[in-house]
Amino acid sequence: MDSALIPEGVKRCSFGKFALGIIIVGGVLLWGVYAMLLVWLKGLNQTNMNDFYGFALWIWADLGVIALGGGAFFTGLLRYVIGKDELKNIINCAVLIGFICYSSALLILAIDIGQPLRGWFIFWHANVHSMLTEVAFCLSCYFAVLTIEYIPLILENRQLNKVPFFHNLAHNMHEVMAIFAATGAFLSFFHQGSLGGVAGVLYGRPFAVREGIFIWPWTFFLFTWSAAAYGPCFTLFVTRLMEKITGKKLVKQNVINLLAKISGWTMGTYIIAKIIDTWYWAAATAPALGLNLIDFYSNNPFYGIWILIAEIVVCGVIPAAILLTPKGRSNSTLLFTAVSLACIGVLINRWVMVLQVMAVPVMTFENWVMYIPSWQEVATTILPVAYGVILVMISFRYLPIFPQERELNP
Amino acid sequence: MKIGRRSFLSFVVGGAAGTAITPLPWKLTDDSSIWSQNWPWTPVPPDGEYSQSDSVCTLCPGGCGITVRKVDDRVVKIEGMKGHPINDGGLCLMGLSGLQLLYGPTRVKTPLKRVGKRGEGKWEKISWDEAISEVTKKLADIRSNGESHAVGSIVDSESGTVPNLFKRFLTAYGSPNFMTMPSIQDSYGMTLQLMHGVSAQAGFDAENADFILSFGSGIIDGWGSPVRMFKANSAWKANGKKVVQIEPRLSNTAAKSDKWIPIKPGTEAALALGLANVIITNSLDSKKISQSTGFESFKKLVQNEYSTDKVSKITGINSATIVSLAKNFARASKPLAICGKGQGSIPGNLNEFMAVHALNALVGNINEDGGVWAVTETDYIKWPELEMDSVAESGMQKERIDGAGSEYPHAKSLLNRLAEVINSGDGSLEVIFVSGANPLYSMPDSKAMKTAFDSIPFVVSFSSYMDETAGNADLILPNHVYLERYEDVPTLAGLSKPIVGLTRPVVKPQFNTKHVGDVVMLIAKALGGGMADAFPWESYEACLKETLGVKWDVLVKKGFEFNGDKCILEGDFNFYPEAMKSLSNFSPVSVEGSVISYPLILIPYDSIRLANGYIGDPPFAIKAVEDTVLKDKNSCVEINPKTGKELGLTEGRYAFLHTPRGKAKVKVHLYEGIMPGIVALPRGLGHTAYDKYLAGKGCNFNELIGPTEDPVSGLDAAWGIRARLTKV
Amino acid sequence: MKEEGKHKKAKKYGMVINLDECTGCGACMVACMAENNVPFKEDESNKLDSIAWMRVYKLTNGKSYPEADICYLPRPCMHCEGDHGHSPCVSVCPATATDYSHETGIVSQIYTRCFGCRYCMGACPYHARYFNWWDPVWPEGSTKYLSPNVSPRMRGVVEKCSFCFHRYQLAMDKAYFEGRTELEEDEYQTSCTQACPAGAITFGDLNNPEHKVHQLAKPDNKHGGRPGNPNVFRLLERLGTNPKVYYMSSREWVRRAGDNYLDNEDFAKNYRR
Repeated sequence: MDSALIPEGVKRCSFGKFALGIIIVGGVLLWGVYAMLLVWLKGLNQTNMNDFYGFALWIWADLGVIALGGGAFFTGLLRYVIGKDELKNIINCAVLIGFICYSSALLILAIDIGQPLRGWFIFWHANVHSMLTEVAFCLSCYFAVLTIEYIPLILENRQLNKVPFFHNLAHNMHEVMAIFAATGAFLSFFHQGSLGGVAGVLYGRPFAVREGIFIWPWTFFLFTWSAAAYGPCFTLFVTRLMEKITGKKLVKQNVINLLAKISGWTMGTYIIAKIIDTWYWAAATAPALGLNLIDFYSNNPFYGIWILIAEIVVCGVIPAAILLTPKGRSNSTLLFTAVSLACIGVLINRWVMVLQVMAVPVMTFENWVMYIPSWQEVATTILPVAYGVILVMISFRYLPIFPQERELNP
Repeated sequence: MKIGRRSFLSFVVGGAAGTAITPLPWKLTDDSSIWSQNWPWTPVPPDGEYSQSDSVCTLCPGGCGITVRKVDDRVVKIEGMKGHPINDGGLCLMGLSGLQLLYGPTRVKTPLKRVGKRGEGKWEKISWDEAISEVTKKLADIRSNGESHAVGSIVDSESGTVPNLFKRFLTAYGSPNFMTMPSIQDSYGMTLQLMHGVSAQAGFDAENADFILSFGSGIIDGWGSPVRMFKANSAWKANGKKVVQIEPRLSNTAAKSDKWIPIKPGTEAALALGLANVIITNSLDSKKISQSTGFESFKKLVQNEYSTDKVSKITGINSATIVSLAKNFARASKPLAICGKGQGSIPGNLNEFMAVHALNALVGNINEDGGVWAVTETDYIKWPELEMDSVAESGMQKERIDGAGSEYPHAKSLLNRLAEVINSGDGSLEVIFVSGANPLYSMPDSKAMKTAFDSIPFVVSFSSYMDETAGNADLILPNHVYLERYEDVPTLAGLSKPIVGLTRPVVKPQFNTKHVGDVVMLIAKALGGGMADAFPWESYEACLKETLGVKWDVLVKKGFEFNGDKCILEGDFNFYPEAMKSLSNFSPVSVEGSVISYPLILIPYDSIRLANGYIGDPPFAIKAVEDTVLKDKNSCVEINPKTGKELGLTEGRYAFLHTPRGKAKVKVHLYEGIMPGIVALPRGLGHTAYDKYLAGKGCNFNELIGPTEDPVSGLDAAWGIRARLTKV
Repeated sequence: MKEEGKHKKAKKYGMVINLDECTGCGACMVACMAENNVPFKEDESNKLDSIAWMRVYKLTNGKSYPEADICYLPRPCMHCEGDHGHSPCVSVCPATATDYSHETGIVSQIYTRCFGCRYCMGACPYHARYFNWWDPVWPEGSTKYLSPNVSPRMRGVVEKCSFCFHRYQLAMDKAYFEGRTELEEDEYQTSCTQACPAGAITFGDLNNPEHKVHQLAKPDNKHGGRPGNPNVFRLLERLGTNPKVYYMSSREWVRRAGDNYLDNEDFAKNYRR
């Protein structure tokens, strides 16, 4: 019944099946919306955050989706600025994921603040010294860029594209996309970095604090670089997932290989930098403050030092090694394992840089405090996932996200 | 006009764009944030004219001067009064949260008459006239039946005009049953009576002492006049004076002392005598005292029965520590030994008091600088002689229900015996008045006390707050709180220079309450005859003014006046009064329960952050309680990690605490500062009354312990009870 | 124009807390709550969301019975100066809702500006900042004792100890009215200092050699305000937060508990100064 809207020459499931999917995921979405409204109306007492955990699940989710959405800026940079032309076949997917991730991030931020009605004070009464101010400005600007990047994609819908104005607009927007891509990359560099800076500048928190250059702690660069490395992995992960769900090949293997290879190199270099950073912090920064590396991981009743090993070795070194070897890239199981591990790795990193920063006691007479999120927090964290799934479903059904789809599925 | 899809789309897009460029969204954004800054449900305290006035805090017997800050007719803060001889500007957290009692939800706002079952919480609001005629009718009936002695009263203390009005009322009515809440003052008073032959209180010149030996007294946990003791403690620190604390638990006092010596609880008297032995044996005793009556017998007692080795065995303190402690104490130039455990709410073992007093006498510090003074309040209450009618005469001939003055000749009041006397059917009361006290909460074995109250047909509470006793009364005649009324506040509380303060109305009464003094007089007048004649004043205020005489003006102006004399100690000091004879064969004060079923020993501990007398913790105070004392709705018990290991109990686990008197669910807190085998529970929790900020939190220690009669004084000497901890 | 010579020297208000004298009675906590209209909830036993601008911590020496020892440590806001006013919290606030005053050394908090991002709480290693998770609710009638000098905070914003800044303002108003520009030491004292029954808290201008706080702490302003008195220490000195609350204790284990030290560090040699 909606065949007129579906891109020409591709096959989609029946509308009934599609609608059923939307309803199921929509139910989850509504659950999230209910939790969100509860939080807005009743306040943050609906969460299990407390004065020790001022930042918790949401900020982790925020940092997480932004890192995963990093595929958009890095792929855009590679495609439009550096000129890796093959990537045009996956850029739409990267942009879509970026758009979902960044809109989600903004939504979570709007839920997470105690006075949402005054959220705009961050712009109006901006404190230029605060990393969070930098995050807010760059995040909003980059979200605008992503919107601009996403609009032509919408306009390419079969029906909309029939309108000459929309057709021309989309065409012209494509023409200047390089400028937006470059702007986006620039903005992303800063907000990904300043999100890293959020933790790195906390000189009252020996677990988070890092030395650095000028006003930027090392975490600033590590975050940007890790987003560049791990973001494309998430793009690949989602593409692969969609291929599995639809049972169709959507992107040619050479495109996947190229992105995987680039990702492998960035990840490899990142993980070396991360190891050096960790080593220097453990050997110099922390001891100067009277702390041993193990002090940060002991007293933790849950995961101890294993979280560090999981982040750096299991979800860092191993996926990087897989992606760097041609054999690993071409074996679809290995590749999928690598990108999955990579996504987990970056999420662990963001978890540690938010939650563990809060949990590790600094005063000698305080203890490690555990935190378990409330259902409202979990629901509002799942909300953007459901929203993302719906947007992907709709976009895939009605927009030409994968230019090679028709060719690969004659 | 047909609206096509395209024109509709243009309309929506155009409309959105158009609205965005108008000031509307920006104005709304701004307005909504301004609204969030002025939420109508977040109060904005009105400003007004600032003023302040001085008064006295009555929340504990400490007698601190306070200065209240006012904005128009609202009191917004209570602070310590600068220059006051007791507290000089400092104030404890109870005093600081007094406004929560004044304005708080726990006030009884008007006279209430019970309509449901006792304790059910169903009340009828009645007028003061109705309330007073209700009481009068009851009292008139009882009196006409010749049962006047079956009326009793429980008040907070025996000094001051209000307790004396009650006493006078009962005397004129014909009842000897004037009872007061117990405290270590009862024991100290009796000690001075027996050893000096004077009726006086012990005052301590703590500020000038240079070696303070405390037998479990919570110097900084609320003993004596709390703020005064805090100040003394700071002065000792600043001047390098020594404090030695003897008790089985590392209390705050023990932690701040120079030396903490853990002792097997209940053996303090033996230690005092053991120290006396070392002092005498080493000829370190003050020579002026050796002429005193009984010295030789005392010497023989300590040398024969309290050798260092024996005392070491009894107390669990090693011999070298005992010897060096005794020597250091005796060699100090102004040593001072004090006793009365914790905040001193349990009178304790009289032998222990006498032994400690003898120790003071031995080093020659009685009525000396830095020592113990026998002091009396100046008796400013000089009311006209009572003309007792025949009913009163015959009523006053009767023995007191609690046995004070008869079974226990030295005691004035033995409230600790009341529950058992009534519950065992040995005595009964028809009416009980309760004022300034909450015996259903704060008397040991409070459940038995409640049972006893249940059998008293008419219970009248004068409480300002809906406390446990008020909640179980038949009639509540609410008193003004201290910030709304005039009253003299005579303060002994271990002061070497007693003080009388004047509490005065800093705000007008907030509710339909009446001064308890006025109510007592109104009832007497309504009863008529000799009762009316006994109270010749037109109001309590008139009575107070007349009573204080010239003091009134001074008190109004200054807020306090020194009010005491050192007692002239005529005659001999008796080292070894008859009452001490039982010490010739030492046995520790026994604790209830068998070792087999109750292998542990439960002791209470007092914290300055927990009120355990008439008032309960106001919200600020309960907020300041640590989470290792109260967590969620549970009291925490302290046990040594070794004990925890033996019982398989870890930090934060729930457990049941059983004693022969009761059972409670508690949380375990492992604490290295407590002797293995001992369980410590904070006093002051487990209220069932007051407001939601206090009720239902933790367990009441008094429900787990019963009184132990001291064989000599009849006062409560229970310092603990056997207990068992089991996993939940 | 020699008048300019009268230019006021910058103040640095701070505190010295004598832990030997502190009895852990909690009067400072309540004095603060009563002075600053701090709200309370039905259950305050969860200290992770219990607003206490001044919190008294209980420290233990970690030894077994009977060598165990405890010490109480009152913890107000440290009013960190950091490096030139770069306090851990002030520098991170995105909306300039908290600020470091170079005139008084006090770290302020503007409740109506704060939008509740809680970044400052994450930045503060002392847990001195508290979030209003709930709407403040006073029982019926109890709003009568609220002081008009401190506005009650709404839900969703961060609050903390202000060194009773309103008292400074009131004292300055009075001084100006009387034609003075300088305050006497006793004209501006915090509520906790005034209430402390043990007299353990001393408050004043650390830059003023005549003030008791200066004499007790002997701050070395050339080295980030490090105390010159060997019995005086600050919490987490090594982080460089440069706090203005100093602690005094004659017990070494207490002084050592003030900061993190590696096991092999010779505390007595290196840090007693």
